[in-house]
Amino acid sequence: MTRLPDYVVRRPSGFYRSTNPGTKLVVAALEVLAAFLLPGWIGPAVVLAAVLATAAVARRLRGLATFGLAASPIVGSILLVNLFLLPGASDPIARLGPLAPTWSGLWFGLQTVARLLAFSSAIALVYLTTTVDDLLADLSRRGLGRRAIFVVGAAVQMVPLTIERAGEILDAQRARGMDTEGRIWRRARGVLPLAGPVVFGALTEVEERTMALEARAFSAPGRKTLLRVPRNGRIDRFLLWAALLALVALVGIRVAGRLG
Amino acid sequence: MDPIQRWVARQFTTRVIVMMPVAIAINIVLGASVQQGLKLPIYLDSIGTILVGVLAGPLAGALTGILSNLIWGYVIPAPIGSTVIGPFAITAGVIGLLAGLWGQLGLFRPRKGHVVSIAGAVVAVVLVAALALYTYSRAYASPDAFNNNVFGNASITMDQSRAFFLVVMVVYVALVASALFLRRDVGAVYAIGAGLVTGIAAAVVSAPISAVVYGGVTGSGTDALVAAFRAGGDSLYQSTLKQGLLSDPMDKMITSFVVFFIIGSLSRRFVARFPNGEKAIEGAPDSQPEPEPEPAS
Amino acid sequence: MAIELSAVRYRYAGASVFALRSIDLRLEPGRVVGVVGANEAGKSTVCLVAAGLAPGVVGGLLEGSVRIDGVETATLRPHELAQRCGLLFQNAATQLSNTTATVFEEVGFGPCNLGLPVAEVGDRAWWALGTVGIEKLAPRDPARLSGGEGQLVALAAVLALRPKYLVLDEPTSELDPAGTSLVAEALGRVARETGAGILLVEHKTDVLARIADEVVVLERGAVALAGAAAPTLADPRLAELGVEPPAAVKLERMVREAGIEWSAALAEAIR
Repeated sequence: MTRLPDYVVRRPSGFYRSTNPGTKLVVAALEVLAAFLLPGWIGPAVVLAAVLATAAVARRLRGLATFGLAASPIVGSILLVNLFLLPGASDPIARLGPLAPTWSGLWFGLQTVARLLAFSSAIALVYLTTTVDDLLADLSRRGLGRRAIFVVGAAVQMVPLTIERAGEILDAQRARGMDTEGRIWRRARGVLPLAGPVVFGALTEVEERTMALEARAFSAPGRKTLLRVPRNGRIDRFLLWAALLALVALVGIRVAGRLG
Repeated sequence: MDPIQRWVARQFTTRVIVMMPVAIAINIVLGASVQQGLKLPIYLDSIGTILVGVLAGPLAGALTGILSNLIWGYVIPAPIGSTVIGPFAITAGVIGLLAGLWGQLGLFRPRKGHVVSIAGAVVAVVLVAALALYTYSRAYASPDAFNNNVFGNASITMDQSRAFFLVVMVVYVALVASALFLRRDVGAVYAIGAGLVTGIAAAVVSAPISAVVYGGVTGSGTDALVAAFRAGGDSLYQSTLKQGLLSDPMDKMITSFVVFFIIGSLSRRFVARFPNGEKAIEGAPDSQPEPEPEPAS
Repeated sequence: MAIELSAVRYRYAGASVFALRSIDLRLEPGRVVGVVGANEAGKSTVCLVAAGLAPGVVGGLLEGSVRIDGVETATLRPHELAQRCGLLFQNAATQLSNTTATVFEEVGFGPCNLGLPVAEVGDRAWWALGTVGIEKLAPRDPARLSGGEGQLVALAAVLALRPKYLVLDEPTSELDPAGTSLVAEALGRVARETGAGILLVEHKTDVLARIADEVVVLERGAVALAGAAAPTLADPRLAELGVEPPAAVKLERMVREAGIEWSAALAEAIR
């Protein structure tokens, strides 16, 4: 049985989901930069449209919608604040008592919102179409050191573990009669008894984890073998280089525009 | 290996590599808990960053901060994930960098029972107060605030910010006093002072990020403050800076105090094994004999 | 061909007391040596020293000589030590790399670190899983295992490096009886099938009675008793050295004190 099992070598399928993770990162970088460097709110809106179209074909629209929902409070705040409180604006849309929404406020708010949504959704798209393991495997193949890979991979896995442990400690404390609901001051006082054990528990494990890693030849020199190798076909490479060139061109044009 | 390579490699021993994910997880979990539970203008999401910075060095600290923000913003899903925190990775990097500097200078070392250092502590308090006053005078007392008065709130804003700065200084003195009286540890003065400076730096770095990326609105309670400052006639950058100067120093002071407390509570042997650990322990490692041998099992 | 500790004295960094005052120990391939002793007798320290992690990774001061197959551990780098002597700890969770999605990849973590070709990594992983007997755990998420399963995975992961010796520091201390039995059985199989030399620190002397060939009793950093497993575990001085004898030994004593005949057939039936 020298073949690696399927669950290790299986590659993701589907439009954009099967695209090489590194390529997706560069494309996202291009989209983020475009969101900020293209003028007005039309530019970012175009980027947003491109992201939405990709998500639709990749069948990840629902994920983007969820993310959009999470971002809606901020979007609303930005629009409202800029609509009503843009300093130095003197072109009111209407007068509603003491409040005076302005056109320039609306314009500025829309621009900020468009930029925000464009760049966040570009990054969200990468997150929705790529697993952390695949991303790290690709970065590893491209030369990112095993230590960096370990830090990111272990951090991602440790967040839910830490939350679980915090939950266990919280339950134990509740069982001992600590007040965990209630008014702000009481809750603030409750954070420290929870934070303490969580932090110290995590830190005291560091010594043993270090020894365990060394016992698994973590410091061995040379390149690490990869069991998972994401796809990197012609299309993936072409797309990556195209995005990279577009990125450089965009920055160049913007800089030249500023100088010229 | 040339000196720079060696300096870099020294900060990333296996122990540090193991510590970093733990620190990142602490940052994210505590930051998310505070953000969702407490709704106060403090973040408490830099404990891990400052801890790694002090113990391992500036690069390790900066990387911890940057990765914490990126992972929190772009890898961890809601409800823990945060949609706004990503671009502030730059700030987190600066915090980690500074923490490495403070660690190098030994500012987080416990200094119990050194009466002579009280004089040094007083000097530190005076210096910190002077720095805070200077920052306040530059950021809040600008004459521009009295022009472009759209809502007539300028003077009220000035009073509020004055009051807030008083609060910051009171918190500083309170933390220092409690450290001195409860733990008789003069080192707290330096640590918390370092936290104050870090907080100011963090505010200065965050302001343009907040302005450019979010237009000053990040969905937390401090947005109203930014709006009030803008109504008083400040530019977007000035408003975000002023808002930052009210919450960052306090948050970083508290965080630094917590880190100082944590380092003081960890076993000296454990701390000594980190690259800059020696600078965070009182006296040489062998000068204080252990009361009992290392537990063997 | 053995791990040899000769006149070893060891002090942790920042400590003033020597955790090990005088240790002479020999671990040969194919043998299982049990180490017992009261708390703070130096058992964990012996593990770290024998595997070379002390002073290599944890610092401290070592006097005397620690040799693996004739090579001083001080001259070996951590990854070279890992391929000669595997080390297992009590807590299964902290031995996970926390970077792998399946048990298979977790077991392959060590060989991947060494940069071995993919085919060989696969070979070693399957072999290790088979030797420990956990092939069916291969697709599982390493973070979602029971304590006993986790320890078995850690054992397989260490085996994948093909060490000639294994040092285990109380691997069953956090396990329930079922988990303990699983691990003990797996260890016995590993000893038989791989011919590895095993140094096993255990509080649970029943486990040692089952699989150990020799037993060493430590007291305050020095060897107090040593010898073949059965007689040493039945030595009456065990109790005052802070070690609980195996259940079979206790039963035999109780029966004899009650004045009942104790025959070899009875002893065999209990075993």
